[in-house]
Amino acid sequence: MSDTGVVLTDIRKSFGSLEVIHGIDLTIAEGSFVVFVGPSGCGKSTLLRMIAGLEEVTDGEIEIKGRNVTDLDPSDRGIAMVFQSYALYPHMSVRDNLAFGLKMAHTEPAEIEARVRAASAILKIDPLLERRPGQLSGGQRQRVAIGRAIVRKPDVFLFDEPLSNLDAELRVSMRIEIARLHRELGNTMIYVTHDQTEAMTLADVIVVLRDGRIEQTGSPREIYENPANMFVAGFIGSPRMNLLNAQWLGNGKVAIGQTEMTIPVSGGGLKPGDKVSFGIRPEHLVVADNTDEGLDARVDFFEYLGGTQYLYCQLADGQPITAEHRGAEPIAAGSTVRLTSETGKRRLFDHEGRRLT
Amino acid sequence: MNPSTRNLSKQRRAAKALRSNSAYHATGIAICLFFLAPFVITFLASFRHGTEARLPPLPPWPSSGISIDSYLSLDTFGAGIWQHTINSLLVSLATVVLTVAVSLLAGYGFSRYRFPLKNVLFVLIIATLMIPFQSILTPLFIILAKLGLNNSLLGLTLVYVTLQLPFSVFMMRNAFDAVPKEIEEAARIDGARDLRLLVRVLLPLVLPGVATVAIFAFLNAWNEFLAALILLSSNDKYTLPVLMMAVRAGRLGAVNWGAVQAGVAVMTVPCLIVFLLLQRYYMRGLMAGAVK
Ligand SMILES: Nc1ncnc2c1ncn2[C@@H]1O[C@H](COP(=O)(O)OP(=O)(O)OP(=O)(O)O)[C@@H](O)[C@H]1O
Ligand SMILES: [Mg+2]
Repeated sequence: MSDTGVVLTDIRKSFGSLEVIHGIDLTIAEGSFVVFVGPSGCGKSTLLRMIAGLEEVTDGEIEIKGRNVTDLDPSDRGIAMVFQSYALYPHMSVRDNLAFGLKMAHTEPAEIEARVRAASAILKIDPLLERRPGQLSGGQRQRVAIGRAIVRKPDVFLFDEPLSNLDAELRVSMRIEIARLHRELGNTMIYVTHDQTEAMTLADVIVVLRDGRIEQTGSPREIYENPANMFVAGFIGSPRMNLLNAQWLGNGKVAIGQTEMTIPVSGGGLKPGDKVSFGIRPEHLVVADNTDEGLDARVDFFEYLGGTQYLYCQLADGQPITAEHRGAEPIAAGSTVRLTSETGKRRLFDHEGRRLT
Repeated sequence: MNPSTRNLSKQRRAAKALRSNSAYHATGIAICLFFLAPFVITFLASFRHGTEARLPPLPPWPSSGISIDSYLSLDTFGAGIWQHTINSLLVSLATVVLTVAVSLLAGYGFSRYRFPLKNVLFVLIIATLMIPFQSILTPLFIILAKLGLNNSLLGLTLVYVTLQLPFSVFMMRNAFDAVPKEIEEAARIDGARDLRLLVRVLLPLVLPGVATVAIFAFLNAWNEFLAALILLSSNDKYTLPVLMMAVRAGRLGAVNWGAVQAGVAVMTVPCLIVFLLLQRYYMRGLMAGAVK
């Protein structure tokens, strides 16, 4: 047994005859902030709920702080959960909402009072303590929900899309707040989100899931710079990475349509003529007229965002490509540009989507 | 805008608010009159003087002084008005308690657990609403006799609870369905289990449903006549509706209208109390603010 935060061993989950989680192995270091991302329906919530004990595992083991909790009740696992819908007790005051779990555990009243006071100070909800959840704004409710998690002093915090009911501005400030909380409390936190920015900014480790399997685990930088496969490459980053059909020519060269591009990969077992995918992120493309190696593209339309603009273009063979243009000079729709990039930013994937190095 | 025109528009707004307010209140008062008139007439008539009380009930108000003769004469029927009131209260309150307890648990089970034949069972329970109650009176009578519960208030209570349950279970299942699952899950993480979960967290959230079930159970048990008439055979076990039949039949061919009105008044008061006590929950949408 290890002393790490959370260890999942070959976790499986079936609903009836349908298996939705297909054997997940994951070790989460104590005190780290782990974010689960993935497309809708990939099993993020199910996985989180199994860690919480709200959903039984069909197979596999869950360990928290070196203790096998697979068959324990949610309240005995040393976890606390924050739900997307807040799930506050509507008939209790904020104070009672915070204190409820402690009362259930027969904590001393003085201790309850102290913990409630400490949590409400951290979250700045002291003035709201006597109110009912119905009398709070969405942001305040979410604070109370987080407060209810804090007073339990859990080993692990679980968040299931806690911010997706909030408006954009509030989401940013709550995101910063959660990051601060993690710094101050230092607990292990597991966080499910759809939001790329939340994932990139909050996570120590991002776990990318697809169809009940882990596609890649790594720091935000690793995931962004070295995606293990085409799925992760396309999923992380906004706008998403351009993935162009190409042909391996050998010797660190690929052909995209008629254009040859250099790419610093050995190509492994590729034979010249093999189909590959050439990946390049929009933000790594540069508009440059006088360069030998570049993709000629016609600008279909563009989005002007102030500091930057996105060019939505088409290559000669009809493949779409998106480029970010930071230059001051405007580029009109209909014009033709030559797009190039540092060779080190180019990525190559084989026909099964695996990254080639 | 200068101060005088601002004042003027303020006045105009105030006048408009007054007009719409008075229309609102006038409508409210008119509706109240319709609902209150029967109560008022009954209560007034029940205080008519002895001789006057034996006349047909028009005009309804006491014209020769107020008296409580009618109420006193109620006591001369059956085993005394107190005994029958207590019978009725016992049966009605026991019906409420049993109905609420059973339907709360059944509604929770139907709403939250998965078990074989769940929907079939539920439809079966609801389907019993379609069986005319009169058609099972004879079997019920025989079953109660076999159980040694004929002519007992307990037997009558059990019959009432049985009749009340289909609607109540349906009502409570809907109430539990409306409680978001996350609230229950949050409570489980907080360590509330089984009965404590039900009582401390869920019960307050389904109180409107419980109030509705309780009101219906009380009113139906309190007012029920046919089953009480057939299942109870001795005089001192009669509930108020059965007693009222004796009162209405009168003595020696003369109907004591005063006693009838007094009996109606006595029967009305508990219903009013129950409704006024519970209507707050009955009306309240407690869920507001629980989830977004
Ligand atoms: N109670 C259930 N019964 C049957 N299938 C379920 C149940 N809960 C979830 N599933 C299925 O399991 C899969 C994973 O669901 P889950 O809620 O974990 O997805 P998710 O990644 O959280 O999606 P989202 O991002 O939309 O919240 C889905 O295909 C879903 O249909
Ligand atoms: Mg989900």
